Amino acid sequence: MKVIKIDKKDWVGGLEKSRSAYRLVGPFKENGKQFPVFKELDKGQEPDLTTLNTVISPKSIVFPQSEVMFEYTTDEKSEDCNLLKRPEKNYSPCAVIGIRPYDAAAFLLVQKNFDTPDYRDPYWCDAYEACTFIGMAINNPDNTDFSTSTKSGPFDESGLDVLLVDMKDHFLAKVITDKGDAYLKAAGWTAKVDTDAAIKQIDEMKNKAEVKIASKISFDNIEKKSIMELYEADFWEDVAFACINCGTCTYLCPTCWCFDIQDENHGKSGKRFKNWDGCMFPLFTHHSSGHNPRGIKVMRVRQRFMHKLKYFLDKYEDGIMCVGCGRCTRFCPVNIDIRNVCKLMNS
Amino acid sequence: MLGYIDKIRQISKGLIEDKKVDMIIGFKKGTMPMMNEPCLVKSPKDVEKLVWDSNCGINLANYLTDRKERIGIIAKGCDSRNIVTHIIENKIKREQLVIIGVPCTGMIDKHRLTSMFEGEIEQVTEQNGNITIKGEDFEEILKKNDVLQQNCSVCIHRNPVVYDELVSDLVEEQDVDRYEDVRKIEAMPSEKKWNYFDDLLSTCIRCYACRNACPLCYCPTCFVDESRPQWVGKSDDSIDIRTFHFLRAYHCAGRCTDCGACERACPVGINMRMFTRKLEKDCFEQYGWEAGLSLDERPPLDTYKPEDPDDFIK
Amino acid sequence: MEHMGIEPGRIHFSWVSSAESTKFVQVVNEVTEAVKALGPNNHFITKEAKVA
Repeated sequence: MKVIKIDKKDWVGGLEKSRSAYRLVGPFKENGKQFPVFKELDKGQEPDLTTLNTVISPKSIVFPQSEVMFEYTTDEKSEDCNLLKRPEKNYSPCAVIGIRPYDAAAFLLVQKNFDTPDYRDPYWCDAYEACTFIGMAINNPDNTDFSTSTKSGPFDESGLDVLLVDMKDHFLAKVITDKGDAYLKAAGWTAKVDTDAAIKQIDEMKNKAEVKIASKISFDNIEKKSIMELYEADFWEDVAFACINCGTCTYLCPTCWCFDIQDENHGKSGKRFKNWDGCMFPLFTHHSSGHNPRGIKVMRVRQRFMHKLKYFLDKYEDGIMCVGCGRCTRFCPVNIDIRNVCKLMNS
Repeated sequence: MLGYIDKIRQISKGLIEDKKVDMIIGFKKGTMPMMNEPCLVKSPKDVEKLVWDSNCGINLANYLTDRKERIGIIAKGCDSRNIVTHIIENKIKREQLVIIGVPCTGMIDKHRLTSMFEGEIEQVTEQNGNITIKGEDFEEILKKNDVLQQNCSVCIHRNPVVYDELVSDLVEEQDVDRYEDVRKIEAMPSEKKWNYFDDLLSTCIRCYACRNACPLCYCPTCFVDESRPQWVGKSDDSIDIRTFHFLRAYHCAGRCTDCGACERACPVGINMRMFTRKLEKDCFEQYGWEAGLSLDERPPLDTYKPEDPDDFIK
Repeated sequence: MEHMGIEPGRIHFSWVSSAESTKFVQVVNEVTEAVKALGPNNHFITKEAKVA
């Protein structure tokens, strides 16, 4: 365990230096846009660390909204005829700068689905493994943040390789993994500080930040209740009334992983895509027979909350499928608040 | 508009107690600043949940589609126009409804206010045409008229066009130039227009919040969800995204009331009204038509009149 | 379509009766000339989806 001090005047220089070994990804606000999004930073572009809670979660770094799985051709003249070819993609080392601790922790929840002993999604896993997560601790959590209730938190290290803490004129960089250590070296940030004192300082900041979080949820009773009791609860109609069944909550969520597979064909060649999909859409469960097991709105709303707060909890016995980032609450067009739904389910 | 709340509750309570309606559709207080949640009230004791302020921008006509009950609905100007549209399109019957009209002075633009302040907005209150915005280390008072949703600032039908009850005296209608920004685009050369819309849609994630917040978008299966045949690709390809927005706007031609629910609902703040408003302007200029003003007149796109403009046919 | 950036002259509307063969020829000629003059269309064409 060690802590490195990064002077802010060395910040940009270090980032640029690290480009010799890493691609850089971070929140960036394009000219004229209202908010930053996570993207690969071109030379000279710096990560925007002022608004860390991006509207769109950084899940797209390893799970893009649309991704080509493979290409094919049925042209007999081609030597690749009838072969499924995975397209070349850059999986060289990539440093994700300024990700929020809970967004990085979200990858660990998604990993339970994409990287299992039986099945391994190569697209997700390869992209994830290429990443080194340089997280930025949150000194001022926002109103909808309830991350301390979800095993994560504003200083959560579980998904990170390095935790940066903003100390006004410098950053303290807590090295969490060897991967993180390697990145700091590549950036030329090597000024060690007294570890015990620095950890104490970071812990103080952490406590201060955690105390600011007023939103709390608990799911101890959800754990004890039976699936059917929750499934048949009488509050779902009420919860679902306002819902317009758009995909905002699922698309902005860092832990929502559902996708659809689509082929797009042009003449004799084509591509197979993996596209984000969401349980809010009727088409998501529409069978080719015409039957839809989640045919009405209330079923779909229930599914989303049951999956996050009950099925996942029961299946992995490792907490809920939510890191408490608050995006779904903040951006829901009709103000459906997962904290309230959790309270109803837990009562 | 805060003064409306007591009246809304009183009327709603009466309607439920007298069994004139089975339910009231209105708003309850949200859990976030500048947000209220559409809600359903069925018993007299629950009418206390109902609120009204400048954060009721979601169009409640959206919640009427194909309902069979007798419903009391709170309706500001644009909601009432969409109720009319719903009735003439047979999505609800006039006899089912008791319309509680709310003369409206506009809804505040939460996207804009959020981006105006660096710190987080913790509380927004309103009084006498002023909005007070409070955060951890700031407090500012703004004129409500300066922070209205853009559709509200150019609204010329603030009063409900059809109602059974009214919560206050009618408000004065605005005399404004509705289409200044549309004309700006009309004046651009083609390539600039194309790029303008490319940029407009560049952050779209196809969550379909705009479509789903829209009271007009009630098709059982939207064309983007059709799979046999499939009309539009499903990826985040920019042409597919544009096809969605462009065709959706066309489906709203002559029906859109510019209620702004689409833009308000958008999580990434896209002003997709730049598509619908061109069509709205055309309908007004070519057919003298404004959607949802009358129960007795058919929309121009489902009727034929000999004097319909036909200059474009050569 | 034109409002969104498709050039004027690429889209034509005409009403031709089945008895108006000369008008039909004339319309087709006019349309092809107008479109040729504009050159190839490069909007709303997607050979394959461009994704990240």
